[in-house]
Amino acid sequence: MLRHATKRILGLGLAESRWSAPRFYHERVVDHYNNPRNVGAFDKNDPTVGTGLVGAPACGDVMKLQIKVDEETGKITDACFKTFGCGSAIASSSVATEWVKGKQMEEVLTIKNTEIAKHLSLPPVKLHCSMLAEDAIKAAVKDYEAKRGKPVASTTDKAAEA
Amino acid sequence: MAFSPKFLRRSLNSINRWRFLSSSSDSRVLLQHSHSAPSPCYSFLYNDNRNHVCSRDFCSRTSNFDEISSQGPAAIDYSALLQEDEFHNLADATTHDLLEKIEEYGDSVDIDGFDIDYGNQVLTVKFGSLGTYVLNKQTPNRQIWMSSPVSGPSRFDWDPTAETWIYRRTKVKLLETLESEIKQLCGDPIKLS
Repeated sequence: MLRHATKRILGLGLAESRWSAPRFYHERVVDHYNNPRNVGAFDKNDPTVGTGLVGAPACGDVMKLQIKVDEETGKITDACFKTFGCGSAIASSSVATEWVKGKQMEEVLTIKNTEIAKHLSLPPVKLHCSMLAEDAIKAAVKDYEAKRGKPVASTTDKAAEA
Repeated sequence: MAFSPKFLRRSLNSINRWRFLSSSSDSRVLLQHSHSAPSPCYSFLYNDNRNHVCSRDFCSRTSNFDEISSQGPAAIDYSALLQEDEFHNLADATTHDLLEKIEEYGDSVDIDGFDIDYGNQVLTVKFGSLGTYVLNKQTPNRQIWMSSPVSGPSRFDWDPTAETWIYRRTKVKLLETLESEIKQLCGDPIKLS
């Protein structure tokens, strides 16, 4: 309180408190933004495809992540994404598609947003992008399992809306 | 910054050219058109069971989501539960309260590189090398979003019964979480609730 008042009196408040070190996108984010991997779309009616659509334009980010699953082995053979959002959101979903390829469905559910954020060195304000990417993966797996008629845990949060 | 109006307008303009269908039957996407009109226009794109995409355009200054939630299957529309004005009052009150208390805490406890800033309705608290917190309002969802160096990102909804902000996935409360995390980070306890 005292510091705030002092700042005001001295008239230094705004200028000083607004100064911060210049912020840059990490080179990995720039790389994914300029050379995004796996951009595209699969046929959502294909029974081997799971589609996860998360986010809302009003919030600034929408991610669509699709996975193609080998029915027999349960392994993800291919993945693609389309994202509207900031560079961090695009990079997060691009990384997500890279990481899910070749893995089992159960395994990709363990991918955490903290890992994505660490890999891209996301600043605090962009951590929400990595969480959205994690949600997109989970939504895609959930969609695939729903299509296959397997019982889906309905108590899981509405990831797309949360 | 992800929430800059210019950026949103740019990404939304490209969305307007591309309509996408969702495969999950209970999805809903809220679109905001940026016209030259002074009041924001909202267009809803929703998907009923026959995968038929319907869209409705209407302009409204205040949220009128009760009308929308009665149309077709949809997930819980949290924005219908809290009016925008009320949300702003509650969220602003909470944020200002946190601003004051954390600032006092920073003054009383010696933390190297402590800084607190509230600009553009975003509260940023730096605990030096220990980490940075960012708290902001996410008005379309009626949520407070927090980014924590301890627990990562979380999104809090207003719970009118408990009269506090709660993260639905983990059921934790905003103020209690901040209390325990700040104590964990800096060593000294803080009273926020």
